[in-house]
Amino acid sequence: MQQILVIARQTFKEAVRNKILFVFIILGLTTICCSVFMPVVGDGREKIKIVESMCFRSITFFGTLAAILLSASSIPTDIENGVLSTVTTKPVQRTTIILGKIIGFIYIIGVLLIVMGGVSYALIKFTALKQSHQGNSELMVRDQFDPDTLQITGEPTRKIGNVSWIEGGGKGSSVWKFKGLYSKDRNDDLEIKADFLVESKKRYDWGIPVNIKIINHVTGKVLTESIEISRNKPGLLRLNGESLEGSGELTIVVSPENSGDYIGISSDSLRVFFGKKSFGYNFLKGLTIISFQFFLMVIIAVLGSTFLSLPVNILFCLFVFFCGNITDFMRDLSTVINVFETHEHEHGLSALMKKSNVFVILLDYVIRKPILLLSYILPDLRNFSVGKYFTDGINIPCKTVFMSFGYAVLYTFFCLPVSFVVFKRREMA
Amino acid sequence: MNNDIAIRTEDLTKAYKSFWGRRKILALDKLNIAIQKGEIFGLLGPNGSGKTTTLKLLLGLITPTDGRAYVLGKSTNDVAIKSKIGFLPEESCFYRFLNADETLDFYGQLFRIPGKERKLRINRLVEQAGLEFARKRPLRQYSKGMLRRIGIAQALINDPDLVILDEPTSGLDPIGTRETKDIILALKERGKTVLLCSHLLSDVQDICDRVAILDKGKLQLAGTIDELLSSKNVVEILIRNLPDEAIIEVETFIKEKKGEVISIKNSSGTLEDLFLKIHAANISNSKTDV
Repeated sequence: MQQILVIARQTFKEAVRNKILFVFIILGLTTICCSVFMPVVGDGREKIKIVESMCFRSITFFGTLAAILLSASSIPTDIENGVLSTVTTKPVQRTTIILGKIIGFIYIIGVLLIVMGGVSYALIKFTALKQSHQGNSELMVRDQFDPDTLQITGEPTRKIGNVSWIEGGGKGSSVWKFKGLYSKDRNDDLEIKADFLVESKKRYDWGIPVNIKIINHVTGKVLTESIEISRNKPGLLRLNGESLEGSGELTIVVSPENSGDYIGISSDSLRVFFGKKSFGYNFLKGLTIISFQFFLMVIIAVLGSTFLSLPVNILFCLFVFFCGNITDFMRDLSTVINVFETHEHEHGLSALMKKSNVFVILLDYVIRKPILLLSYILPDLRNFSVGKYFTDGINIPCKTVFMSFGYAVLYTFFCLPVSFVVFKRREMA
Repeated sequence: MNNDIAIRTEDLTKAYKSFWGRRKILALDKLNIAIQKGEIFGLLGPNGSGKTTTLKLLLGLITPTDGRAYVLGKSTNDVAIKSKIGFLPEESCFYRFLNADETLDFYGQLFRIPGKERKLRINRLVEQAGLEFARKRPLRQYSKGMLRRIGIAQALINDPDLVILDEPTSGLDPIGTRETKDIILALKERGKTVLLCSHLLSDVQDICDRVAILDKGKLQLAGTIDELLSSKNVVEILIRNLPDEAIIEVETFIKEKKGEVISIKNSSGTLEDLFLKIHAANISNSKTDV
């Protein structure tokens, strides 16, 4: 352990003495501070959102860049300079060198995160304070509730994938049940967000009218509202928390108002936002999740540096980072290619794909299968994405923090032994 | 295994492979040597003869393609044995952002030398290396000779039983070279084993008990300096204060005995001796001036 810490301190000292840590801190802080001057269209909440979003993007970008560049370059540079061949002639296990380097990078990223996080928090607080003085907004986050159950009454007109289409005019409706909606403050607003697909036989300027009926089973209160939902903008309904009085449960029935109007729904199309939670605690959770992503990138960069040269390793890490953020797209792309073979209406390329020929086999083995395989092997970095929570002012569930931690640990358990084995076999020529 | 042997190799072979895994260069071909404890052993050879490869194999930096090597009775894969070895690499490969004290402290900590003891050793070695005036200067500001000195100091931080030196006098001025040679001889006096590799033959001849000559990865010759250099039918006599007439008489006597005089000349010192003499005189003069 003593040797690990010696190497870790050395790694940290190197980043400080070579001023690379300061460069990242200065660049990050400059971007963070610039967020205050961003022009905003909208109310005070929008301003806070912009600052929050810029801060988190800056922390993520510069933190990831630092994690990749520092950890991808350290070991290859030390090998290239011959420093590691001197170190390995001392009674030091190669695994110790790897662990020492990783802990050193954690020190560096930790300092970067603390400085940038601290300044970001102060800046967001300052912005919120300024806005609240103007009576515009307060800095709170709310819990997001996903529906417990979804039932569709009447026959859905059609079902494509997990999207069911319901026609209005009393022909069908969706019944959503939410549980666990409790808050200490009875005056908390309750917000319902309906993110549906919409279609209509008529022509509307804005969107289609949708009826929303909120039922409190304990008090028997029924509240009916009508909102407009368009193709690109989700419908929002704000209610007083009293509609929840005496109950943590709500049933929400949604249906298009008119016949000939359709809504396309899936299990997570309707969400309820409720309760006030501390922003500071949420901010800390956000930083924690981001730090797991940095840690994961460090582990991957160290794995690459055990067998790749410096430029190749940096490219490898950037590739992993890029693809790690689009694993969903990679899987979709693979499915799209596969659909050619199964789609009912073949035209052109799809008709060609139906027949088993060299082109099909090549496409399958050279593009589709490798992309699909990569999408499962590479880390899914969307697990560490916290931007959406801050943009929508949503409280990050503790479950998400633990899940991201578990994901990072799982990946580490896979990558670290491989790094050890490869580095042990590496010749310090 | 014989306890008196510090290093032993058995058919030690190293072939470097190409990108596609084919054998490219045979850097070392079936090397068999045994180095006794307490001796200074020189590994000689031209560039690319396999000297550095041999050292790297002995230190476990690279793995042999074939054969085996034992250092202080253990396999070269044994990390623990490295606590008894000091190594000076051919190039001075250290963290350039550290100063002399920090460099020695870093390596001292890797050897798990306790703090107080480490500090004492660092002070002694910095003094021995003649780097007190630059001990707080980052290594990136050091000259090649100064880097070599700090390299030797780090090789000795753990008070090793076996010291492996790759081109120890490379880049050093004559004074540094002399001091290094003195350090090596002092190590021998303390019963340490020294393996050095160099292509500066005079250095090796001055201090080594035994040498091995490598060429194209193969051991060409091995033995003591006397064994390798003595010529049985040539005699060398050094005489002081002999008058010229006596020299003629000696020459005549040799011819009478059917001997052949190869050369008669006044003994001359080496350039190194002359340089050191001038340097010593300068030092004593500057002390007198003060």
